[in-house]
Amino acid sequence: MLGAIDAASEHLEKIKVFKNNGRGMQLYLPIAELPLNLFLLLGMGGAVGFISGLFGVGGGFLLTPFLIFIGVPAPVAVATSSVHIAASSVTGAITYWRRQALDIKLGAVLIAGGLLGTVAGVLFFNQMRRLGHLEVVITLSYVTLLMSVGGLMFVESVGALVAKRRAGGTPAPAGHHAPPWHRNLPWQITFHRSKLKISVLPVLVLGAVIGFIGTVLGIGGGFLVVPALIYFFRIPTSVVVGTSLFQILMTAIAATILHGTISQAVDILLALTLVIGGVIGAQFGVRTGQTLKGEQFRLLLALLILAVGIRFAYEIVGEPRELFVITATEPER
Amino acid sequence: MRQSGLFARFILLLALAALPRPSSAQEMVVTLSTREVAITSNFTGAEITAFGLIERDARFATRAAPFDVVATVQGPAGEVLLHQKDRFGPIWLTAARKRFGGVPLYFALLSARPLAEIADADTAARLKLGLEHYLTLPPPLSLQQGREDAGFRDAMLRLRAEEGASIIDASAVTMIRPNLFTAKVQLPGKAPTGLYLINISVLSEGVVLRTVQSGFVVRKVGIDGLLANAARSQPGYYALTTILMAILLGWIANIIFRRD
Repeated sequence: MLGAIDAASEHLEKIKVFKNNGRGMQLYLPIAELPLNLFLLLGMGGAVGFISGLFGVGGGFLLTPFLIFIGVPAPVAVATSSVHIAASSVTGAITYWRRQALDIKLGAVLIAGGLLGTVAGVLFFNQMRRLGHLEVVITLSYVTLLMSVGGLMFVESVGALVAKRRAGGTPAPAGHHAPPWHRNLPWQITFHRSKLKISVLPVLVLGAVIGFIGTVLGIGGGFLVVPALIYFFRIPTSVVVGTSLFQILMTAIAATILHGTISQAVDILLALTLVIGGVIGAQFGVRTGQTLKGEQFRLLLALLILAVGIRFAYEIVGEPRELFVITATEPER
Repeated sequence: MRQSGLFARFILLLALAALPRPSSAQEMVVTLSTREVAITSNFTGAEITAFGLIERDARFATRAAPFDVVATVQGPAGEVLLHQKDRFGPIWLTAARKRFGGVPLYFALLSARPLAEIADADTAARLKLGLEHYLTLPPPLSLQQGREDAGFRDAMLRLRAEEGASIIDASAVTMIRPNLFTAKVQLPGKAPTGLYLINISVLSEGVVLRTVQSGFVVRKVGIDGLLANAARSQPGYYALTTILMAILLGWIANIIFRRD
C-alpha cells in the first residue's frame, strides 16, 4: 500500500513539470471569467482610443466585436466597452474644451434630442422583436447606412482634395457657400463656439435620429454625428469632434451606470486595462487630429466608415465557415 | 451564503463517496490532489489529479482481464443557446435557434484508452459517458424536427469541444499498477466557478464493477472574489466607482500630456 502511494506521488511530480510552462502576462478578469493577455488589452484599448480622439467617435463599434472575438462574453463586452468610451472621450473632450473647440450648448441640445430618439428607438425595437424581423432589419440597415455615409463622404472629400490641388489655393470649405436650408425655422439660437446661429429644431431632430438609430442598431452613433454636423450645419471640424466627444461622454456615463446596475456585466479589471491604453491613445489621436486638414480628416473618416461597413457586409454575404454559433452560455444561479 | 451551501453539498458528497458498499465485489478509494481551486488574478487554468486504488475482494475469483478506469468531470450546469445560420437570398442570417438547459458548462471524459474499447453504447449511456448524454431536447414532433435536433446536438458537441469546454482525453488516466491509477483533470482558464463532480467507474471486460463520486469547488478568491462579489451585491457603487475611475484616468492622461 505504501509502495503504491510512493509510486503515485512520483507520478504526480512528473505531471507538475508539464504544467509550469509560463503563458506570458495573463490577467484573470473577475466578471468576464477568463484570463486574457494584459498587453493585448492595453494595445487594443490604445488603438481604439486613438481612433476615438482623432475622429470624435466612441469606438464601441470596433472594441465590442474585438472583445467578443477574443472570448469575452457578449454582455460583458458591450457593458465594459462603454467604460472605455467614457474614458477616451473624457480625455479628448477636455483637450478640445481647453482649445475652445467644444460647444457645450450644441452638445446639450444634441443630448436632449438623443433622449427622445432613444425612447422611440426602444419602442421600435420591442415592436420589431415581436414581429420577428429584427435581425434582418438591423443588419441590412447597418450595412446600408455605413456604406452610403462612407461612400458619399469618400466622393466628397476626394473631390475636395482634387479641387484643392487644381486650384492650388484654398478650396471652398465644406460650408459657407451652401444655402442654409434651416435659416428660416423658428427658435433661433446662437452657438458661439460653432459660429452658428440656427433654429434649435434641426439640431434636436438630428440628435433624435442619431439616438433612434443608435438604440436600434446598438451603436453609439458618433460616426454619424460627426459627418452630419460637418455636412448639414457646416460647423468647423475641430468643434465637431470636441462636441461629439462631449455628447458621447454623457451617453457612455449613462450606459455604464445602467449596464452596471441592471445587467451587472461591467468588468472593472477589463475596463481598467482598456482605459489605461485608451486614454493614452486618445491623447495621441487628438494631437494627430489637430494636424489634419478638413478634407483629409473627412477622407480618413470616410475610409474608416467604409471599412466597418464592408466588414459587416462581408459577415452576412460571405458564406460562413461554421453554420452554427453558440451565442450565450448562462450558468444556472 | 451560496459558497457555504455548495461547500456543505460537497462535504456530503465526499461522505457518501466514502461509505462502504458491502455488496460489490471490488472496492475503490479515490482522493483528489485538491478540493478547492482558487481563482486569483494570475489564474490561467489548473490541473487536478485524482488518485485511485482498486481493492480486490478475496472472496471473489480474481478476474484475469485488467481493470479499465473511466472518469467524467461535470462542471456547474447552465443554459447554452445555439444559433444556426441559413441563406436568405444573397445574405446569411440566423434561421433557427435552440436552447439546451442543464448542460455542464465544463465536461471531461477521461480514460486510458478509447471509450469504444472499454464500454458498449448502453453502458456509456447509463454512466453518462459523454456530453451528448446531457443534451436533452423535448421529443421531436416530426421527422424533420428530429433531424434538425440531431444537427443541433452534433454542432453543440463539436463547438463545445473547440471551445475547450468539453474534453475527451483517452490518455488522461494512467494505470500505475493494475489496481492503482491517476486521472488528470485539465481545467481551462475560462472554467466556470462552482461545484465540479467527478464520477470514476472501474470496469472489466465491459462490466461496471464500481462507481465512486467525488468533487471539488472552483471559486474566485482575493481581489477577483472581492470584485465579483461587489458587482453583484453593490451594483450601484460598483458602477459609480468604475465610471469615476475612467473619468479620473482620462483627466490624469490629459494633465500628463498637457506639458508640451
